[in-house]
Amino acid sequence: MILDQLVNGLALGMVYALIAVGYSLVFGILRLINFSHGSVYAFGAHMAMVFVGMEYGIVPALIFSIILTGMLGIAIDKLALAPLRAKNSKRIAALITTIGVSYIIQNLLMIVYGSETKFFPKLFDYGNINIGRVSIGTTQLFIVGVSLVLLVLLSYIIKKTKIGLAMRAVEQNHKAASLMGIDVNFIVTFTFFLGGASAAIAGTLISGYYQVVYPNMGFLAGLKAFSAAVLGGIGILHGAIVGGLIVGVSESFAAAYLGGTYRDAVAFVILIAVLLVKPTGLFGKKGNIKV
Amino acid sequence: MKKVIGILLVGILMMTVFVGCQSQTTSQESEVIKIAVAGPLTGDFAEYGTGFSNAAALMVEQWNEAGGVLGQQIELVVFDDKNTGEEAATIAERIAGDKDIKAVIGHFASGVAMVASPTYQEAGILNISPSASHPDFSGEGDFIFRNNTVIDIEAQVAVNLAIDTLDKKNVGILSVRTDWGTSTADITKDLVEKAGGTVVDHQEVVDGTIDFSSNITRLHSADADVIIVVGMYNTLGPFASQYKAVNPEIELVGFSNAYSQQLINLAQENAENIHFPTIFFHGSVEENVSSFVSAYEAKYGSSPSSLTAQAYDSAGIILKAIENAGTADRSAIKDEVSKLVYDGVTGETKFEDNGDAIKAFSLVKIENGQFIEVK
Repeated sequence: MILDQLVNGLALGMVYALIAVGYSLVFGILRLINFSHGSVYAFGAHMAMVFVGMEYGIVPALIFSIILTGMLGIAIDKLALAPLRAKNSKRIAALITTIGVSYIIQNLLMIVYGSETKFFPKLFDYGNINIGRVSIGTTQLFIVGVSLVLLVLLSYIIKKTKIGLAMRAVEQNHKAASLMGIDVNFIVTFTFFLGGASAAIAGTLISGYYQVVYPNMGFLAGLKAFSAAVLGGIGILHGAIVGGLIVGVSESFAAAYLGGTYRDAVAFVILIAVLLVKPTGLFGKKGNIKV
Repeated sequence: MKKVIGILLVGILMMTVFVGCQSQTTSQESEVIKIAVAGPLTGDFAEYGTGFSNAAALMVEQWNEAGGVLGQQIELVVFDDKNTGEEAATIAERIAGDKDIKAVIGHFASGVAMVASPTYQEAGILNISPSASHPDFSGEGDFIFRNNTVIDIEAQVAVNLAIDTLDKKNVGILSVRTDWGTSTADITKDLVEKAGGTVVDHQEVVDGTIDFSSNITRLHSADADVIIVVGMYNTLGPFASQYKAVNPEIELVGFSNAYSQQLINLAQENAENIHFPTIFFHGSVEENVSSFVSAYEAKYGSSPSSLTAQAYDSAGIILKAIENAGTADRSAIKDEVSKLVYDGVTGETKFEDNGDAIKAFSLVKIENGQFIEVK
């Protein structure tokens, strides 16, 4: 029973980690918490649903969804955030803008696809694997596997590639990076694309797991992933992963032992505790910027 | 600074003018008889509210084509309460203040309906909720009616389904944490014990939860054979899918507000063999039911659910009462409604002294992607 709950929590946690990475990426580059990220995740799930409905199969659907959602990420930056940066607005203005954008996306989804809960086909379902008394769903294994591969891929991009080097340079200092010949605007665009793409994958995985899609699915998931990002130390990639797993597992245990009504509270209890005890998060070092 | 405040004030003024517009579009006084529908048109429960307004519009259209009521045309005024108490309270004030509105159909959730009903009672305007099933709802006053059964009667039928029809004794309960969900779950627990079953576990979830894995692990390890789900289709659908991945043998019993085509769309093959008690069965062979279902499907492209049918009858009851009373006076309508015996698509409806409708239940289950009646 405890192991069962652990498995449930880890699968959920991997998805939170994927969403949390989106917060961390954008925060790293722009020092901005992008609260529209939850809606971007819901958008990704809806796009996947539309393309799955066209029966090209799940892989092309996922690719379309990644491209479109990545483009939505870029559009949010170009239309809403870049003008604010150009005017040197206060950081709070950009923060509030992202909250506004989040509502715009959510309501557009409601207008176009209706507000009811919709069906999404189950991904990669080959029944359960039983080890002793613990039963692990193949869907859960699939979620963990896909998330792991993606997180490794993202780490590789950031740590080993040239564009990753440029991202890290921009993270350190915009102006200096720009003087060294890095196209800062392109790096920001690319970051938003990566954030959107990882949100699209997370949205598709979660929809395939629970077999439902609905417009405001991103709200709570987004906030929980944000807590995960803060817990790990916002802006730190492996921190987001550990944070996601901790939030997912504690949520699962809370639902099982405290009752389903407490599950959503756990993430926020963690968030408040982190902000009080160690505002830089688990992996944050002194001098890192706090949320 | 003064300028800014000035602009803000003008803005607020404009807003109130526009908000007012909605209910004042055709203000040629008392040319028409107005009936209000209030329910969630946006948000998670939008389709229930949309069902209410669609059904009421269909009934009003049929009356208008036949010459209206008391020689006047009927106009429907629709309000969106988003299924929140705050919105419902505001809407109730607006309805109570508009003298042209003669009766109110609505408010969907019991908790929301009970926020609004004291205002209706105070203003002396007839309020029929097609869906509120909380035992205390109709006790708000003599203007408050429900065209739905009280929950303990429905819960008894659901428990009988689980224990007698399905012949299972180890009952698990999953309920949503709302006014309705919590009180229904308590009532159901008592009824299960009385019927000779055992409640092996009770799990409560927040409305809108989609991850039931922890709850399912608990219910499954408590060896439940049948789960009574106290929730809407958006809870029952994903719950059924996730439970059947763990235990394909599990039997599920829902309540009539989960009886919706949406449930089959959402849970697909996992919806098979879910049982419900329901007042209205859209596949019924009775003539008035089938003509209502086909008229509804032709107009809105979806089949009416149980609650939609109850909203349709609620509109019919109000119009019939106005006709019988011979006047559109608010309290005369109320007196007529309490005397009325109305033969509608949800069977014969008569209100008890406290404003509760008494109805007979049909048992329905899902087989091959269709709702069929259980004999």
